[in-house]
Amino acid sequence: MMMHRTTVLAAALAALTLAPDGSAQRFGRRGRPPEAQPQAAPQPEKPAENKKVESWTVIQGGDVHVGDGTVLRRTHVVLADDKIHAVGQEVEIPEGATIVDATGKVVAPGFCLPMASGFGAPGGGSDVREGLNPFDPTIKMGLAAGITSFLWTSGSGAGTPGGNSAVVKLAYGDLDGMVCVENTTASMRMPLSAQDLSKFRDLVEQARKHQDAVKEAASKPDTKAPAAPKGTEEILKVMSGEKRLWIASGGGGFRFPGMGGSGSRGFDQTQIRQAMEIASLLGVGVVLDRPIEAWAIADEVAATGSMAVVSPRQRVENDEAAPDTTGSNIAQSAILHAAGVPVAVTTPSGRFGGSPSIGTGGIMGQDLNTPHVDAAFAVRGGMPNRAALRTLTLDSAKIANADRRVGSIEAGKDADILILDGDPLHYKTFVETALVNGKVVYRKDDEPFYRHIRR
Amino acid sequence: MTKRCFLTALALCLSVPLAAQAPTAFVHARILTMTDAGTIEDGTILVRDGRIEAVGADVKVPPGAHVVDVAGGTVMPGLVHAWSKAGLGGGGGGAAPSFPGGRRGGRPTRVPSGGGGGGNAQVQAARKIADQIYDRQDIFGELLRAGVTTLVVHPDGTGFPGQAAELAPNVGPDVALAVRDEAYVVVSPAPGPRAGKAIKDALDKAQKALEERKKPKEEPKPEEKPAEGDKPAEQKPEGEAKPAEGEKKEGPAPEGKEGEKPKTEEKPAEAPKPQEKKPEPPKDPNIEVIADVLDGQRRAFLTLGSAMDVQHYRSFVGDEPMKSAAVVAERLDPRTGLLSLEAEWLKKAAPIVLTPPAMTQVPNTRTLAHPIKDLADAGLQIGFLLPDSANGVRSMRFDVMELVRCGLPADAALRAMTVVPAQALGIQDKVGSIAEGRRADLLVFTGDPLDPVSDLRSVYLAGHEVESHNPR
Repeated sequence: MMMHRTTVLAAALAALTLAPDGSAQRFGRRGRPPEAQPQAAPQPEKPAENKKVESWTVIQGGDVHVGDGTVLRRTHVVLADDKIHAVGQEVEIPEGATIVDATGKVVAPGFCLPMASGFGAPGGGSDVREGLNPFDPTIKMGLAAGITSFLWTSGSGAGTPGGNSAVVKLAYGDLDGMVCVENTTASMRMPLSAQDLSKFRDLVEQARKHQDAVKEAASKPDTKAPAAPKGTEEILKVMSGEKRLWIASGGGGFRFPGMGGSGSRGFDQTQIRQAMEIASLLGVGVVLDRPIEAWAIADEVAATGSMAVVSPRQRVENDEAAPDTTGSNIAQSAILHAAGVPVAVTTPSGRFGGSPSIGTGGIMGQDLNTPHVDAAFAVRGGMPNRAALRTLTLDSAKIANADRRVGSIEAGKDADILILDGDPLHYKTFVETALVNGKVVYRKDDEPFYRHIRR
Repeated sequence: MTKRCFLTALALCLSVPLAAQAPTAFVHARILTMTDAGTIEDGTILVRDGRIEAVGADVKVPPGAHVVDVAGGTVMPGLVHAWSKAGLGGGGGGAAPSFPGGRRGGRPTRVPSGGGGGGNAQVQAARKIADQIYDRQDIFGELLRAGVTTLVVHPDGTGFPGQAAELAPNVGPDVALAVRDEAYVVVSPAPGPRAGKAIKDALDKAQKALEERKKPKEEPKPEEKPAEGDKPAEQKPEGEAKPAEGEKKEGPAPEGKEGEKPKTEEKPAEAPKPQEKKPEPPKDPNIEVIADVLDGQRRAFLTLGSAMDVQHYRSFVGDEPMKSAAVVAERLDPRTGLLSLEAEWLKKAAPIVLTPPAMTQVPNTRTLAHPIKDLADAGLQIGFLLPDSANGVRSMRFDVMELVRCGLPADAALRAMTVVPAQALGIQDKVGSIAEGRRADLLVFTGDPLDPVSDLRSVYLAGHEVESHNPR
């Protein structure tokens, strides 16, 4: 194939890569010193070398928000079919490539939301593929909000990990492109009774023994690997990293304080500490599903390598008996982030998208479908702007355990990309073009939601 | 049941010549022939013995003919209802199917998303709906009076729910008779792997059965060699196994035999059977029926309501679909993607799409979409699904008018109710148009059928005027 080299006039001028500036800010309320950034994302899957590329697309000259907190000015993104091929200011542009001019625009990874529903996915069931609807109109609404993938969940474990999940892409009109990864998460609920906790400990112990037995069997050529003890299958998957364990509070859904009769304030410190105990037992970080007081023990959470999904604008009254360590407010995401806890944002209602019970009825602009504004609330609470984009991209993809595929603009990852008309987290910013699997699936000018808005 | 139907059908055949000795001539008629002859202004239709003997502007009326002067009126063929549930719902009321977004501004129904796709598919292709229908129901006569002169009822369900039956509405008492109890095989995929896999498995089995059929001559030879040398005694149990197998084959559809006897078509699998010596596993009659479809000996109607359904079906059967006579889209629901999005693939699956005559809305907008025109423009033939109530059929004319007003050619709209569904059923040489040799199923309108002020004046079934219950 003939290649030619493009020269970018302003390359030298623009060759400025902004480092994540998460460490630049201090937080008044807690006065917590900034700590190390979370470790880099795992390497994306290596693309198959011998696969012939059918179509090239180049998104040219935009300011690329990589998704990990860095920004590359006036940079080209080369897409080979459904994958990102190269990112850089001087890249070879394949002949015959479709050129998408993004000069003066912002290019960002599509948002991967850990909590959403609708968007063509079924309401429940054990197999996400049953009834998957690639033509669901809510897919377009999600794309208009920058959502290109989300974690679909169905069912949940209680005292032990369980439930089904999948990361579903908003690949409008393409059934085969909708399921990104399947069953990368499991979930369970706090609090555990003393009995349940000891049962869990037993299972983890059995799982460890099983792991040792498998290792031993592998070292001997003629021994067969033993079967996993009953009840440890999911735990083994969590321990190996195949599944990310989500821990939520209570019997389902979020309870506003004072509404429940249990006297508990929901996912409070006691339950979070129990979740941290689970994480230490398993030896892997877990995901805290909307913890209220995780910020108060952010260092403990960070120490286990755990992560959190929070709604930055969710405010929970503190307990008068311990006003400094209870409740939550707008600073919670910033404090968790500063401690090194990866954070993903969600809405106060818990879910983005077209869940039948919540709905996005009427025209857009309702709070369910502006994830970038929810992330902006984290900025309002003190989180650095660039790092806050991670709450919708790389960190949220990590929380969904799909960061090998989505969440950042890096070579080898899926070509799920947004072209925006401004800063990704500015409330006035709109998605101009959205690509999923390298295909344009949304154009602001072609869809009825925002095409009348001109600036 | 089928036996009775058959006998009554015989009775009908006998009664027709008796009642129609003198020919009938429809004169001064504007004739919408639905053939290459197009529209004949001031023409004559000559009907003898229930069949059309001649059509044209210069047809001579024989002396003694019963003359019907249609001056000012328009004659079109009777409506062909290829996909009905009339009389199957119990009671015989036959409620009209609700077409989502049917009339203008109608809100499309929400896609059932909870719990996923259509569940487990059944493989009952040998089942006949004719065996389950009670034929003395008012609905058949009501539909006839509304203009439906050909009625085919189909079984419901996911997968291969069975075979449809063509009923013959009678002129006298409200009796419907199955004239063909194997009108077509219904193939009804559901969106999801569960149904998809079941359908794929059945198709694979049928393909294997078909390959078995295609090589019956070669098989006896390798069979004979081992038979010569060792164990001649073994042949006896084999021979005994044979009749048992034959019985089993007949088992699922015992009455079907009688209905089939008059026809010489089909049943190719039966012929080589007596010569075979190898004890085969008993054949699954359902799989055999599907194999007939793959072999082109039976027609199939494939239900795919939306582009979503097509993509799910495609993901299991692949890009080269089983050939069907028609694709049936019972819903035109933009929330699951209009069929026209998959027009290219549809053309490979079937030449005809049967849809409700309806406009629909572009999702998230108030813009009207014309999915039927889109399909027609893409090169597919359009047939209409008719409602299952007399009032529904009458008011459907106004839906069709709107389609025409919004750009569907009037000719295509009228063909969609008559000759196209007849083609889908493979009976276009018998019904669906006004031409020599066709059954004289005629509708006489006071004006053009697509003129809102015109009215259906009378209905003729096989040359007999159907008694109207609504005198004007």
